[in-house]
Amino acid sequence: MTTAKNIEKELWGSREMTLLETLDRVLDKGVVISGDVVISLANVDLIYLGLKLMLSSVETMERLRGGALTGPEQEPA
Amino acid sequence: MDHLSENLIYVYGVVGTKPHPGDLGKWPFSLYSLHGQGTHAIVQKVSAQEFREESLKKRLTDMTWVEERVRRHEGILEDVMQKTSVVPFKFPAIFENEENVIKFLSQQKEEFKRMIRYLQGKEEWGLKVYCDLEKLRESLEGDDPRIRKIDSEMADAGKGRAFFLRKKKIDLVTNIMDEEIAAYTKDSFERLSRFCVESRINKILPRELTRKFGDMVLNAAFLVKKKRIGGFFQILEYLKSKYTAKGISFDVTGPWPAYNFCSIDPLNNHAGKDS
Repeated sequence: MTTAKNIEKELWGSREMTLLETLDRVLDKGVVISGDVVISLANVDLIYLGLKLMLSSVETMERLRGGALTGPEQEPA
Repeated sequence: MDHLSENLIYVYGVVGTKPHPGDLGKWPFSLYSLHGQGTHAIVQKVSAQEFREESLKKRLTDMTWVEERVRRHEGILEDVMQKTSVVPFKFPAIFENEENVIKFLSQQKEEFKRMIRYLQGKEEWGLKVYCDLEKLRESLEGDDPRIRKIDSEMADAGKGRAFFLRKKKIDLVTNIMDEEIAAYTKDSFERLSRFCVESRINKILPRELTRKFGDMVLNAAFLVKKKRIGGFFQILEYLKSKYTAKGISFDVTGPWPAYNFCSIDPLNNHAGKDS
């Protein structure tokens, strides 16, 4: 994970990109391949199913939110 | 060689110029590139044991495995992105062998070349907008003339009428809040979109994942020219000043590889831009 590079960006983009943000992109977006050249395709539904099963665990939820992440505009209570 | 040491090829993304070994970042495994008619795929050999269909399905329910692989996928693309425009692949993109990757690159060369050119000098930024409903409600109850009108009616009303008015007020406040949130998100999205090359709205994420920040009211991605990023932040500053008092907060992340702006359709080979 990288943090934003310059001062101005740090005002906005300095929070760590959480795992959730990454999953949101990497699992659902980007180039999709299919056809006979492909050996296997991830079933995204499986991942979200796994995620939902995990959601009952508070620990996982915290991890998905990035733990130390502060709220968008507020400091943590 | 036994079955377990068989390798498959994992593709992270595609670039337009052959990367130098240093460009691929420092990782405890071998990243390299494959060339196919003018574009290069950033690849890694992975074990069939891990990535063959059946075992992959199992792995995908293992959050620890998914997290590690996904962070790696993103990390590598971020490294590559520092040097050159990269078309990111969805996780995971697995090919039987190098030959098939090269074949794929050749088949899709026009699409990839077009996409690489399009993404040059641009980066993706994500925006999630949240609303603290209590704060919004308070702000509206203080300001909105329609609500104040009902309040003053209630002050003069008898018990029965007051009860009826209280219910009416609840409905009114709910409707007004919905209207206001819709107006704020529309305004925010449009102002930012006008400034960007391309933008898109994505699904709101499940409440369980975002409760800490309030209700998510907008989930959007923007493709911005790198040299204009200052202007993008200025618009965000403006929106922040306009809407913070209403309980709105803006969660901005970036720069990302352009996941939201690089869909190609390998089967039909459409040249259209993503929405």
